[in-house]
Amino acid sequence: MIDLPSRKKVIREFQKKGGKIAAVLPIRYPRELFRAFGFLPVEVWGPPHADVTLGGSHLQSYTCDIVRNAVSFLLSGGLDRTDLILVPHTCDSLQGMGSVLLDFVHPKQKVLTLYHPRGVRKADFDFLTEELKRLCGELSDWTGGEPPPGAFWEAIYREETADRALARLYRDRELLGLSDREFYRIVRSREFLPAEDFIENEKKLARREKRSTSGVPILLSGIVPEPMDLFDEIETMGARVVADDLACGTRRLYKSGHSEDPFVRMAERLFSAPPDPTRGSPISERADHLKNLIRKSGAKGVLIYDVKFCEPELFDVPLLRKKLEAEGTPVNYVEFEMGKILSQQTLTRIEAFIEMIG
Amino acid sequence: MTESITIRGKLRYQLAVNVAGRLTLAFRRRRNERKTARPGWSRDVLAPPLKLSARMKELMSRHYLGGRYANGAKKVAWVTSGAPIEILKALGFYILYPENHAALCGARRKTVEIASEAENAGYSRDICSYARTDIGAVLSGKTPVGRLPRPDVLLACTNICQTVLYWYRVLADYFKVPLILIDTPFIYEEAHAHDVAYVKRQLEDMIPAAEKIAGKKLSFKRLKEVVRFSREASFLWLEVLDRAKHRPSPITAFDGFIHMAPIVDLRGEPVVIDLYRQLLKEIDVRISKGIGAVKHEKKRLLWDNLPIWFKLRKMAQTFAGYGANVVAATYTYAWGELAPMMDETRPLESAAQTYLHPLLNQGTGHKLESMQKMVREFSLDGVVLHSDRSCKPYSLGQIDQRDYFVNHAGIPALLLEADHNDPRSYSDQQAENRIAAFMEILEDSSNAD
Ligand code: SF4
Ligand code: SF4
Repeated sequence: MIDLPSRKKVIREFQKKGGKIAAVLPIRYPRELFRAFGFLPVEVWGPPHADVTLGGSHLQSYTCDIVRNAVSFLLSGGLDRTDLILVPHTCDSLQGMGSVLLDFVHPKQKVLTLYHPRGVRKADFDFLTEELKRLCGELSDWTGGEPPPGAFWEAIYREETADRALARLYRDRELLGLSDREFYRIVRSREFLPAEDFIENEKKLARREKRSTSGVPILLSGIVPEPMDLFDEIETMGARVVADDLACGTRRLYKSGHSEDPFVRMAERLFSAPPDPTRGSPISERADHLKNLIRKSGAKGVLIYDVKFCEPELFDVPLLRKKLEAEGTPVNYVEFEMGKILSQQTLTRIEAFIEMIG
Repeated sequence: MTESITIRGKLRYQLAVNVAGRLTLAFRRRRNERKTARPGWSRDVLAPPLKLSARMKELMSRHYLGGRYANGAKKVAWVTSGAPIEILKALGFYILYPENHAALCGARRKTVEIASEAENAGYSRDICSYARTDIGAVLSGKTPVGRLPRPDVLLACTNICQTVLYWYRVLADYFKVPLILIDTPFIYEEAHAHDVAYVKRQLEDMIPAAEKIAGKKLSFKRLKEVVRFSREASFLWLEVLDRAKHRPSPITAFDGFIHMAPIVDLRGEPVVIDLYRQLLKEIDVRISKGIGAVKHEKKRLLWDNLPIWFKLRKMAQTFAGYGANVVAATYTYAWGELAPMMDETRPLESAAQTYLHPLLNQGTGHKLESMQKMVREFSLDGVVLHSDRSCKPYSLGQIDQRDYFVNHAGIPALLLEADHNDPRSYSDQQAENRIAAFMEILEDSSNAD
């Protein structure tokens, strides 16, 4: 098993080498651009242990916990070691957060935003390319310089290699002999580990003979599986996650680009991601993608595990359920409030589902 | 499956809407005009309703009647409230605004029944109550307007929220019709050149798609005419709202909420210009006679966010009971303030700018600045921020906006928890208590002056 360092340790080590840290909110952004400028992107998906009351002084209680916890974490000093905060415009809640940080909270870190278009047309692609150039320009203005020659391409190739390593992890998950929790700890280390470390870790993971595994196979969909105890609980209930459609998981399996223009190439990569409601993908496309994952993985049911008040996810649930159930795959939707522990109600609902499909 | 236009369909439309409908609705309007009071509106604290309400109601009823018979007679588009409709209008589409229809369901207290249909189908109560009302109407056919036409195309513009895109994806799946997206990058500080170019390009790309569905070519001459009508109506709407700067104000923001339907739904049609001209005349008569919409106007307030549609009357009366007139609203203003950006000589370029800049597509600091400007220009004493549970884009930022007014500008401000369309997220008792406490603070602050 790989010994993964904590986020704190990674940040300290990176800073010791003279690097800077960018705190990044979900979901999509060009990692390579930040690395080229000497920033390590460290993602903030919540976190579950933040004291939400702090966030409550800026955001109403009907804002999702990812956003409220992130603001709370920032206000409690949790992001003090970071130099910059990137808030991608993923949804109305992150739009609100970005705007409130810029206009009212004024954190000591520089706040940057990024608009990912909601379509996949040529106009959307060209816009994204221009938007990446704008972000690069802002980074350059703020840092007072351009990345050293070659740094851009070096960062692009490195991130593409890391994404290929991530794809291999998914491909070989049955051969790794890892528990779901261990597997997702490694997958999610892509949220904070430098790409080079992630690549090394993936190489270290030995592949074994595929063994027959027990447990009801399920597909996990949603934004983020927090707290990670969820995986232990699922295992205890007699199931295992064989595929995912998580925003922090396979929804960010980016392919390598082709263009020789670095901005076009970054846009190609971001556009290569699987369907996702926050990118405006049609629901039928999402359903087809899930059906494909189910077929390939042998999942017997889909657990949609979502943060409360997540509108992008909520709108798709009824039609996804209808389309998947029409093909014989049961779907269960469970909503959770982000905290250190899973509520009994959440666990009971998951358990009942696993029993039903088992 | 879309319906083709037939001679029979057109004939049916003519007879039902332009002949029988016109006569019946005109008769009803005359009857309404004779009524001197809005049923249920307290005359002790509020002036009689604007006479023009009856004409506006007639206009909107005709619009919905048109929708009832539109399939087979016209191509139908369902659009989001901030969508660039001028191209569709110039191509002769019948245009339905599900948000306005949902608001109408709210005002007629039909939301719970209709939204429950969506909730029973799995749509969460945490999503926008307009969307739930609309999806419920689609699934059940329930509507207070008789029947909604089936769309041939959907047009979603993200300049008010991302929610509309999630919602219209559901509609696209249900109706199996094309969804045209006009994506408008959010403006945190200032719009960039590539944002404007992106919106313009999408408008250009939309033309062949809409032409294909309409089965005809777009006439730029007609497009320019529609833009001119939109611009003129928007300016008039702004004038109507600006009349509230008078003391006492001849209108309330609640009048604004009621009379905004034509600028939203019928923008681009000359009839709106005519209606708002008449409305201005009526308001000017009030001003010349010194009639205030609230009989004893002592305090003047700003309303932020959507109205609480199912409590319009109650809100108007409650505030008026304290001698407070909510004279202005950011929401109604949003439909006029972009008028100067519209330019018929550059229909697409100007549309790109206009539709990129609605209040809701700009940062929370910009909204605060707009509110501060309104406080100054309308001589306001306080601000009511409706914290709307199911409209995040409008509501996030309000806590800091309220704090700014209270702690930095010395203006009392109230954060009122409710929902624009769902009465289950609202408590009369709680709202009344909050308003009473707020009015006390307002009173104290003026005594301190
Ligand atoms: S959980 Fe949903 S609503 Fe919250 S930030 Fe993520 S996408 Fe947005
Ligand atoms: S009420 Fe708010 S969330 Fe709903 S459609 Fe309007 S702007 Fe969007």
